[in-house]
Amino acid sequence: MANALKQPVAGDEQWVLAALQGDVPAFGRLVERHWSMVFALALSRVKDPTEAEDIAQESFLKAYAKLGSLRDPSRFPGWLSKITLQQCANAARKGVRRRAVLGSQATALTDVAALPARSSNPGLTDAQIQFVRETVGRLPERFQRLVIMRFMGELSAVQIAEQLGKRPGTVRVWLHRAYKILRKDLAPLLEEVKS
Amino acid sequence: MNDCQLCKELIEQYLDGTLTDSQLAELEAHAQECEPCGMEFRRYVLLGETIRDSFAPGLAAERAGASVLAKLAAHPQRRCGPSWVLWGRVAVAACVLLAVGCLAGFALGRAGAAREPQRPPLAQVPVQVADVRGTVLVRHQGYDVWHVLEAGSDVCLGDTFHSTAKSDFVLQLAKDSTIEVDQNSMLALTSYNGQTQFFLAHGECTANLESPHGPFFIRTPHGRVEALGTEFTVTVE
Repeated sequence: MANALKQPVAGDEQWVLAALQGDVPAFGRLVERHWSMVFALALSRVKDPTEAEDIAQESFLKAYAKLGSLRDPSRFPGWLSKITLQQCANAARKGVRRRAVLGSQATALTDVAALPARSSNPGLTDAQIQFVRETVGRLPERFQRLVIMRFMGELSAVQIAEQLGKRPGTVRVWLHRAYKILRKDLAPLLEEVKS
Repeated sequence: MNDCQLCKELIEQYLDGTLTDSQLAELEAHAQECEPCGMEFRRYVLLGETIRDSFAPGLAAERAGASVLAKLAAHPQRRCGPSWVLWGRVAVAACVLLAVGCLAGFALGRAGAAREPQRPPLAQVPVQVADVRGTVLVRHQGYDVWHVLEAGSDVCLGDTFHSTAKSDFVLQLAKDSTIEVDQNSMLALTSYNGQTQFFLAHGECTANLESPHGPFFIRTPHGRVEALGTEFTVTVE
């Protein structure tokens, strides 16, 4: 039912170093490990799952190209999350430009109601999935990132703090504020799912 | 401190991701006995599961990894390495060394000409790639670029193969013998006393040898495995 403490960051360092020495498959391991987190981060910003997948892949390719600039290999997930959010911002800018050119033909990034809520989970309905994504998307950006890193990256509050160079206390406070908002906003859905 | 107060603290630790297995068992035991604490705990567990389910990627992590590796293999110019700042320093150092080298060359009366880095010649071996499933990468000895392996391609001494997740491949040896290499494995062809040898760095492979067969070995980081029968599997954790 519930998961206890995990240590997912162990191993990142050796794979980063191996990738830097030309062992490309080692980078594949990093992709596998952090794919869920990067995809979810992208999805929390761009809303469209297909676009989020593209951004996630581009983020990994960019991370690979810039791997030499990563000063502390043990902080790969935090560094990767920054790259992903930067890629999302770039995609949003391109989207705005594209919409300006195409006018009403392009889909607005905030107009997500018509987009498919593609997920690997058959337990929740599309509408429920969409509702959760929108609720998380309404969180302040600094909370969004922490929630995604906590649940999709399987990182503890302490590990998130290390990754982002913040104080553990700050991360804990922000996470608990986010939980409070989510618990309140998702209450109807949680009751629905529970029953 | 009463049990409910302790439970509240454990729920906070659960949310922070700092709960140990024994603490989780303690929390679950109390949650089963105490209705209010149980409801509180289940609500947060459900919250986490709902978020995980809603943001779960449609593309499995293994396939995403293989896809990124295939893109890197298709665009070898996307290489990782030292940062541009570091490259800048390396370039400056290289220029200084070049200038010193040229001056020394003129002084000795023989200006040096730039040479292409020496690549070892590729020595083809009587092994062929019989089948490939998924994304398998190959790197030739002396080269640092990985290519996507294709069925039917020839194999050279020094080649290193890497099968990504949910990918495998079969090498056809001379005289109807095969080696099947499982997913997440790395196999290299090396030379030992003039003979081709297989080195399994990690993963699993199964050799199917015709009967009778001569001495056949698979080396691993932990030692050498000799085939005594016609079929055997080697696993390196």
